[in-house]
This record gives sequence, C-alpha cells and structure tokens, in this order.
Amino acid sequence: MKRKLKGRGVAASWYGIARTATIDRAGAWAELDDGGTAKVVTGVTEIGEGILTLLSQVAAEELGVRPEQVTIGDNDTARSPEAAHAGATRQTYMIGNSVALACREARSRLFDEMSKVWDVPVDDLRSFDGFLWAENTNKRITMEEAVDTCKKRGVVPVGSGSFTAHGTGLDPVDGTGSPWQAYVFGTQVAEVEVDTITGEVQVLGIWAAHDVGRAINPRGVEGQIEGGVVQGLGQALMEDYQTQDGHAVTHGFAKYILPTSLDVPQINSIVVEDPDPLSPLGAKGIGEPALVPTAPAVMNAIYDAIGVRIRDLPATPEKVLAALQEKRREAQTAA
Amino acid sequence: MPDLNIDFTVNGRKVARKVDPSRRLLDLLRDDLTLTGTKEGCGAGECGTCSVFVDGKLVKSCLMPAAKAQGADIETVEGLAAPGELTPVQRAFHKTGASQCGFCIPGMVMAATSALRENPNAGIEEIKERMGGNICRCTGYTKIFEAVEIARDVIAGKLPQTALNQDGAASSFIGHNTRRLDAPSKVSGRLKYAGDMDMQGMLHMQVLRSPHAHARIVKIDTSRAEALPGVHCVITSEDVPGTDGFGVFVHDQPIMARGKVRHVGEAVAAVAADTVRIAREATRLIEVEYEELPGLYDPEDALKEGAPVIHDYAADNVVKHIPVRKGDIEKGFAEADIILTDDFSTQQVEHAYLEPEAGIAYVDHDDVVTVISPSQNITHHRHMLSHIIDKPINKVRFIMSPVGGGFGGKEDMIYQGMLALAAMKTHRPIKLVFTREESFIASAKRHPSRTHYKMGLTRDGRITAIEFSMLSDGGAYGMSSEGVMRKAAILSCGPYEIHNLKVDTRVVYTNNTPSGAFRTFGGMQAQFATESMMDMAAEKLGLDPFEIRRRNMMKAGSLTHTQQKLNSASIGTVLEAAEKACRWESGAPTVRGETRGDLGGPDTRQPCTLGARFAEAATQIEKAKVAS
Ligand code: FES
Ligand code: FES
Repeated sequence: MKRKLKGRGVAASWYGIARTATIDRAGAWAELDDGGTAKVVTGVTEIGEGILTLLSQVAAEELGVRPEQVTIGDNDTARSPEAAHAGATRQTYMIGNSVALACREARSRLFDEMSKVWDVPVDDLRSFDGFLWAENTNKRITMEEAVDTCKKRGVVPVGSGSFTAHGTGLDPVDGTGSPWQAYVFGTQVAEVEVDTITGEVQVLGIWAAHDVGRAINPRGVEGQIEGGVVQGLGQALMEDYQTQDGHAVTHGFAKYILPTSLDVPQINSIVVEDPDPLSPLGAKGIGEPALVPTAPAVMNAIYDAIGVRIRDLPATPEKVLAALQEKRREAQTAA
Repeated sequence: MPDLNIDFTVNGRKVARKVDPSRRLLDLLRDDLTLTGTKEGCGAGECGTCSVFVDGKLVKSCLMPAAKAQGADIETVEGLAAPGELTPVQRAFHKTGASQCGFCIPGMVMAATSALRENPNAGIEEIKERMGGNICRCTGYTKIFEAVEIARDVIAGKLPQTALNQDGAASSFIGHNTRRLDAPSKVSGRLKYAGDMDMQGMLHMQVLRSPHAHARIVKIDTSRAEALPGVHCVITSEDVPGTDGFGVFVHDQPIMARGKVRHVGEAVAAVAADTVRIAREATRLIEVEYEELPGLYDPEDALKEGAPVIHDYAADNVVKHIPVRKGDIEKGFAEADIILTDDFSTQQVEHAYLEPEAGIAYVDHDDVVTVISPSQNITHHRHMLSHIIDKPINKVRFIMSPVGGGFGGKEDMIYQGMLALAAMKTHRPIKLVFTREESFIASAKRHPSRTHYKMGLTRDGRITAIEFSMLSDGGAYGMSSEGVMRKAAILSCGPYEIHNLKVDTRVVYTNNTPSGAFRTFGGMQAQFATESMMDMAAEKLGLDPFEIRRRNMMKAGSLTHTQQKLNSASIGTVLEAAEKACRWESGAPTVRGETRGDLGGPDTRQPCTLGARFAEAATQIEKAKVAS
C-alpha cells in the first residue's frame, strides 16, 4: 500500500432560510437625504457577513444612488425598527427585503413629486447611480437636485418597510408543517490525501455548489462559502471541545485546535441562482448552509482514499490510524 | 515591584510612560495609548490578533512585558499609513473582501506586511507559512491569501496600482462586487468593538465562576470583597429585582447562579471596581459554600431512571423531543431490498470567534438601562432584561456593537444582565471583557450528537424508509436547544423525498458546558449522518454517489419530511454544477481513490510542506525501526 493515498467524496445538503417553523419579520426605514445621499435605519449590525454592504447595495439600487452614499443606522433597540436577530441565515432575506420595501416607498414619494414637476407619468421615471430621468425625454437631473426639488415642495422622501416570511409551526405529534417559505440546496465535493503512517488528512480541494437565490454581492457569497467550508473542515478533522466530569480540558487555542492558513484547501465556489419567487429581491441566503456538506464530503473522501469509514467526528490522525489498524486486522482474520 | 519609567517610540512618536512591570506591551498600547487596533484574542500567544512590530520584527504583544519596550521602536496597525490613507496591503484586503468580522484583521495585516517586508517575492506557500500564527475564524483565509498576492505584485510593480481599485462600474448594484464599506475601518484598526470602548467614570467587572459542575449553594458571603478599597459593588442573584431567567426558548438560566450551580464556569457573583485588577482580587474574597451534588456528564445517563435532576421543572432531564412522521415505515422497510443500520456521532464544538464576549452598561439621563454588546439578538435580549430588572421595555436599551464573530455563540444573554445590574447599583458605566478561557467555559457550544440510523432501499437505489433517532447533549441550560432539535429533525433525512420516515431528535440536560446556537443549528449534525449513509448505500448498490442522490432528490412538487409541498427545488442543478466543476469521474464509491483519474487538478492545492517535514520524521522512525 502506498503511504499517501488520495480520494474524493461528495455530500449534498439542504437548508431553510430565516427563522424556523414560525412567522419571521423585519422592519426598516429609509430616507433620500440631502446631497443625493440616503439613510437607512434598521436593527442590524455587521456580524462579519457583509450585511451592511449588501444593504447599501440594495438601497442604492432601489433609490438610484451609489452604495457609498448610503448610511446605515446602527442596531439600537431604542432608535431603530425591529429587525430581530443576526442569525438563521435571515439577514439578506429578511432585512434585505425590508430595506428594499422601505426604499421603494421613499423613492415613490420622490417620483410622485417629480412626475408632477415634469408633468410626465410616474412610471416613466428612472433613477440610478446618482441620476434621475424620465424615459424618452431629455429630462435628467442629479439625485441631489431631485431631493432638493422634492423638499422645496414640502415633501421629505421617506419610507418604511416590513417584510414577512410565513413559516408555520410543526404539529407536536407528527411534525407536519411548513417551517420555511424559502429553501436552498448545496453540494460539495472534497479531495483529500491521507497519510497512512501518521493518520493525517489534508483536504486539497473543495468544490462547493450552492443555490443562493440571487447573489447580491458575489464576492461576499464566496467569502461565506469559504468561511463555512473551513469551519466545516475544522469540525471534520480537528476541533473537539472536551470536558472531564464537566471540567473543560480544551479551554484555549493551544488545546482546542482550529484550522490555520496551512490547512486550507483550494476552495472552488460555484454559485447557483434559483431566485425566490416570494420576495422582492429573489435572494435567499448562504451563511449557514455553506458549512453543512463539508464534513460528510470529507468523510466520504477519506473512505474513497483508504477504505475507512469515520462515523465519529472529528477524524483526528489517532482515529484514522486506529481505524486503519482495525481494517488491517479484519483483513488478516478474513485471510 | 515599583513602576518603571520607560521611553520608546510608537508609530514614529516618542512616548514616555510609567509602567507597572507586570503589564504587557498589549496593555500599554491598548489602555494607556488607546491604540485599540491591536486586539486581544487569546492573551496567550496563540491567535496573532495582537501582532505589532518591535524594532521591525513581528511580535505578539500579549507575550511581551511592557517594560521590555524601553528604547524600542514600535509600530502598530494604526501607524502603517497616515490617517485617511491605506497601504497596498490594506487596500488589497479591502479589494478582495478579506475582512469579515474584522477582529483578526489588524493582526493579519501586520503579518502580511511582515511577510512581504521579509520577502517581497514570497510565493503563496511561503505566505501561508508566514501567516500560520494568525487565526481567522470567518474568512476561510482564501480572500486573505488573494489580497496578499495582489499587494505583493502591486508593491513589486508587476501589477498596476489600479489593481487595488474596486471592480468597474456596473449597470446594476445587484450582483456587483461592491467593496465592503466597513473594510477601511477594519484594515486600519479604527473600528471599535465593545472591548475597545471607554466611557468616563467607567468601572470594570470581573465574574466569580463556579468550580463545580453541580452543587447547591449553601451560602455566599460578599462582605470581605465589598470592603476592599476600589470595589463599588458586588452582585449576586439576590440583587435581581424582577423575574430572573433567560434563554432562547425556555427561560431556565438565571443571570447568576440561583440556589445551585449547574456547570463549571457558571457565573456565581460579579464585582464592579475601579480597575480590572481590584475587581479580580475582590472575586477571590467572595466566600461561597457549596454542597456538591452528583453530576450528569453523559446524555444517555440523563435519561436513566433515578438520574440526578438538573432542573426541577424537567424531572426527566429532557429539554425537548421533536418527532417527525411521514408514511408508514414498516411498509417502507418491507419494500426494501437492502436495509442499512449504523451509528454516528459528532463532537462538541466551540465557536472560537476571535472577539471574546465584551460589553458596557450604563444608566442614561432618562433612566434608560443601556447595554452595548456584540449581541446577536438585541430584540430578544431587551425583552428578557426588562423582566429581569422589572422595567418597562422603553427603559431598557440594547445597542449592538460590531460583532467580532458570532456564528450563533453570541445569541445567549450570558453576561449582559450582570452588567445592567451593576450599572443600576452604581450608576456608573460598567465594562466587562471575557478572557479567552471564560469564553470557552461559559458560552454555548455546538450540540454534540449521537444518531442511530436505519435506511431501506430498493436495488435501484430508491430509499423506501428511514428511521432516524438523535440524542444531543444540551448541557446545563436550555439556550437554543429546542430550536436546534427542531431544525435537526426537519432537515434530518437530507434533500431527498422520503415517503416513509420516523424521525426523533431529543436533547437532554447534563452538567456539561451548555450547547446552543451554532451555524447550521443542528442541520450539520443530522446531515452528516444522512450523507454518510447515502455513500454507504451507494457502495452496496454499486451506484455512483451523484446518481443515488439524483434518484432520491426532491423536485418541484415534492413533499418534504414535514410534508410541505415544494414549489421548486434546485438540488438537481446544484448536484450537476458540483459534478461538472470538479470533473467527477463517475463510479461507485468502492475505495477507488488509487485508480481515479480526476485527482490533483489545477483546482486543488499541493499537499502542504508540513507533510514533507512529517515525511522526514517518519522515514527516520522507519529507519530506526529497521536498525533496531
Ligand atoms: S496571540 Fe496575543 S492575543 Fe492572541
Ligand atoms: S475576519 Fe478573521 S476572525 Fe473574523
């Protein structure tokens, strides 16, 4: 037997978007502000996923300004509408859509005024990238001028939005119910190399195909997939919080081993877009789903490489070696 | 030891300070010079968030005594570029989206800068190796590597400066790689996380934690701690004015132990004092008399007759059981040509966000009790705290500070209640920052699970029935356990249409560190078992793993495990996308790694050099064996 053996494995997965088996909701306020800038207030703060950037893209698109001209208010229960928690792969879906709705209302205030000023049908008005114009005319002004005009007519272009996701509870006896209105699916393939002397497993490649509905910021989607995969890899191969009679024995990074730059495979993300028909943006989410298939794909790949099935995570070198020895013993007794 | 006078240079400016010799360079930079771009992720030299340059060398400032800074030239992340400007490394991080939560990023920028200063032509393998001492929990490192390579090439003149700019204008901002708006503040260390904030008159909190897994609290005597000069208040559960109890589904956890402790590390009392050091000293003066109780450390034991009871309201120790039923499994198994049974388990996992828990509470001019913290659920925390401190909702305010990584681990209100209480007692702002060890022992983990699986299939690979039973260890408190079991049950059997199934997920109380919300919320544990079974079935039936999945996958119109009708299901598209992208060579999963033709493509990395070092060691061992 060669010392280092490679193999590949696949795993599929699915996931629900936003809170589980309950109605979910989020609210937002928007204002087209002086200078052609915009303000969005909603109960959300960055937990690292890129939500603030995403919301500024959504607001910019809906209002007709640029992302960097959008200011997002901080998450503050006394100052911003409820957007609820930062989890459950709900930020893009719930808050993204509520911001889109709030911005649409603010924009329609502005458009109503401009259609009167220009005497054009409101449906002919467009705004993008800091400009507002009427289709098939030569009427075109900056958003700064448009907001100024609107305000001089006594109207502040503000709007609010509330977005709902209709999940239903599960029956307590047979579990029937419709927990989410949007689902995503994913598939990952892992390529590994197993050192049959040390038991060490290296993941060399991951192909991660995930349906996200619509990728509002493709780089951000990739970032979520890459981060999810590496957390999945940590759980697959090394991370293990252990206690002895309730006392933690792995209470620092010296004993609790995390993936570092040397453990990272080449991650090939394939973003699939199956838009959600029930929401304004069509986007679904990716935060959590990216992690689900990694560990089983790696275990299936280890099996492909050395014929050992690891059923108890993580597949540490000791466990892989023990399983290999067991396999050899079995082969000997069989022979 | 007396304070020492030291002179040194920081970011090009001369500084003179008196320092307590027991302090670290990290404290000197953060507390005395308010250079909070340098972060404390672990305090033990293991994460790299505190990296600075000392006389041009990359150093972990948590390991260097402040006194050693005498005469040194120190450069921190704040000093890399003039205010308002960014270095090519920082700009490249901005460009590629290399910062997510950002907490590791100042350290990463320092490590990347160091790597390129030491070797401006470093290849990717060398860059990885040089950055190996810096942990990032969010990004999966990939965009960081990309950034360092771009920066290297720009600095070397191999790429134009414009390579650092945002991708070109678009006809829509949806689908556009807009650069992260928060990146400049993260790559330059300017963003203030809760632990970086300061308020006038602020006191510091330290927490006394339980040394026992399960014990009755006979008596707590705080008098000696209260008498210590510099101590402003000592709080215990006695001080809670309202109805104590928090949790995501059941409010079974008091903000500090009440009557008994249920896990090691549970908060028992807290002190607010002028300095962290005084507060810590005071916690040692609190006398707690415990009467140890038999503990439960295994979820199976928790279900046994006569097992110790952890919470009186749940005499059977069961936090939640979620059943899902569909069709008739007996009929389904009778139709099967093969039946596979197996068992799987997953471990308890730590979130390991680089930012340890931290927060500040104060009572404002309108008597609003305000808590600033990286909480992932301020809406719910506000509700719970209003009951706990017995104030109307509009007199409780939660502000969510930038979260230095959460992954579900910051959904539980494990310390905000103590901060609020101390602020109410003293009318001073109170700050608490967890040590890394506290973060490990006091915050929730991913539920460890054991799953028993039975799957029936026809010869052509159609699943006829599944019986799935999972037992999870919820630890000492309920936290998100109920929701985690629900999600695990709903998603259990994977993206396949199964006509007959019986699924049960159960979570029990034990005296282990609590389990709670963690990215995938039970979905990962359940689907690990399912996806392993799928491959085992494919091998038995001689089917390609993609093929067996396709034969069972959900489609538009399918009924899910909870009998929800799907209007669409993209699993077919996604399977095909992955299969194509990786150039999958089809065949049954019969340990065919050695004969595969699709391995080692340009879309994989080389096995890392560490392997080579291992190889050397291993050959030596082999040689030694042969020799003996
Ligand atoms: S290495 Fe210094 S704080 Fe982690
Ligand atoms: S971005 Fe690296 S730890 Fe969050």
